[in-house]
Amino acid sequence: MLHISKKASYLKSGLLPVVLFISFSLFFFSCKTNSGNETTESKIDTTLTGTVTAELTVAPNVPKPLTYTSPKKVIVQLETIEKVMPISDSTEYTFWTFGGHVPGNFIRVRQGDLVDFTLKNAPESKMTHSIDLHAVIGPGGGADATSTAPGQSTHFQFRAMHAGLYVYHCATGPVPLHIANGMYGLILVEPQGGLPKVDHEYYLMQGDFYTKGKYDAPGLQDFDETKALAEDPDYVLFNGRVRSTTGPNALQAKVGETVRLFVGNGGPNLVSSFHPIGQIFTKVYVDGSTDLINHNVQTTLIPSGGAAIVEMKMQVPEVINLVDHSIFRAFNKGAIAQIKVTGPENPSLYQKLK
Amino acid sequence: MKFLLSILMASVFFCVSKAQKKAVVIEKKMATVPGGNYKPFFVTKNNKPIYVAAFKMDESAVTNSEFLEFVKANPQWHRSKVNHLFADTNYLRHWKSDLEIGNPKIYNSPVVNVSWFAAEAYAKWKNKRLPTIAEWELAANGAPKNFKYKSITDFILDWYTKPNPPFVPNVKSTYQNQYGLYDMNGLIWEWTFNFNSFIASKDSRDNSEADFKNFCAGGAINVVDKTDYATYLRFGYRASLKGSYCISSLGFRCVKDLK
Repeated sequence: MLHISKKASYLKSGLLPVVLFISFSLFFFSCKTNSGNETTESKIDTTLTGTVTAELTVAPNVPKPLTYTSPKKVIVQLETIEKVMPISDSTEYTFWTFGGHVPGNFIRVRQGDLVDFTLKNAPESKMTHSIDLHAVIGPGGGADATSTAPGQSTHFQFRAMHAGLYVYHCATGPVPLHIANGMYGLILVEPQGGLPKVDHEYYLMQGDFYTKGKYDAPGLQDFDETKALAEDPDYVLFNGRVRSTTGPNALQAKVGETVRLFVGNGGPNLVSSFHPIGQIFTKVYVDGSTDLINHNVQTTLIPSGGAAIVEMKMQVPEVINLVDHSIFRAFNKGAIAQIKVTGPENPSLYQKLK
Repeated sequence: MKFLLSILMASVFFCVSKAQKKAVVIEKKMATVPGGNYKPFFVTKNNKPIYVAAFKMDESAVTNSEFLEFVKANPQWHRSKVNHLFADTNYLRHWKSDLEIGNPKIYNSPVVNVSWFAAEAYAKWKNKRLPTIAEWELAANGAPKNFKYKSITDFILDWYTKPNPPFVPNVKSTYQNQYGLYDMNGLIWEWTFNFNSFIASKDSRDNSEADFKNFCAGGAINVVDKTDYATYLRFGYRASLKGSYCISSLGFRCVKDLK
């Protein structure tokens, strides 16, 4: 507004050409910056400098930050395994998994890497499985190349061009059933410069489950198609099991430390309102994008088939309950994980008064 | 000690050979499946309901004992001699050796770990053939007798969602349907003659509508009944097969035209 009102005096003083020049060059400069952002991938050096095998971890663990600084060929081998495991203390469920756990193994690669991916299907499997990695640009995110019969394996390559945190899942028909049985996990494509150093990194993934019996009904419970179609789950869980990450299994941190969580949502149906009780996300990499960072967030939305990276600075000793704030899910269906923070009290920040 | 061991081994051998002898193969009964319309699960321009003529079908899957007779008569199908273009390295891997099944509990269980080529060869040897997808699906649609499940889909999903047992149970151990066929679901997967032919041709120019994929939501576009998860799984499974694959839960049964 100020700019416009002053225009007249610029005209009078004969400064118009100068002003025009400045605003033009400003315009040009800002344009250049924008287009620079849009084409970061063209600036990525894709010359391969060796081969490494990806470290794969089981939740809540995350592979160590990558130390190499130029693109590599990264070997990733995942096996699909069908397995009966406890879904709660008294209930078992036949999970279909990537690597024998829900969620599947965490994969960490670097922007520019050429990922050499082998999907094996265990010989004991009853089903055909495949993988769609949201980090892949190509037919079916890899699913077109990985329809894998029991006892067989399939192989494809993709270039990880876009930094961010991405969901992967099985994409064999009927896809909703494969996802409902636990076939999902996360792949992190680190930006070229890596992520800032933190004290702890952990892996959490939400998913909803549908069983013939009610929540916590005893014995081996079968999948319930009617409940799944009605999007009415019996369980909403972090890491595939009631109390997977609470009490003795809680994530650990000390006062003064920074914790980074890689959080995914496998669905198949529900969207998560991810919230830390007694904390604030000091940093949220919105939608798992390493380019869009928000600060001081109470609750961040994690869509089904989506992810987010969140960070918190531990300030006082407490147990932080991480919940889906669609709160019946936390209270009645299992959607709670915990961080146990130990260390000295900090009365200037928080104290309980008599 | 050595002496004791040899006695023990001799007695084990005796027991096994005795049990092998007991597995007498009688000619398999066949049931008649009346002709009818088969409505394809994936509907495309070229995939219209078709009339399937009446045919005869083995009342149960081909067993290990039955397949052993075939292998004895056809040395090129011995596990150690088979051409791996026609059967991968898992071929009959659950057998003790080329001509020994091993575990007596599975003599009468469906033979598994057999390729499409092996199944084809067996069928020809018996003067039979493998069923087409249309024939197999029509036969499997027969109403179950004495069924304790809510629906056939429910029963199949129940089977699907349990891991494979250590060895496959005997034939005729699940249910019989209205045509007299046993275990059309709930025991093993079965080869069909044209197991992966529902997949559209790679060249999408010949029929653009048929260029769909059976993954992600794409698989739901042209499906007859989107809630029929059991059939979905069957077609997804068939689509991932190749003729040389030998899988621990995949066997077959044969059919014959009505004379």
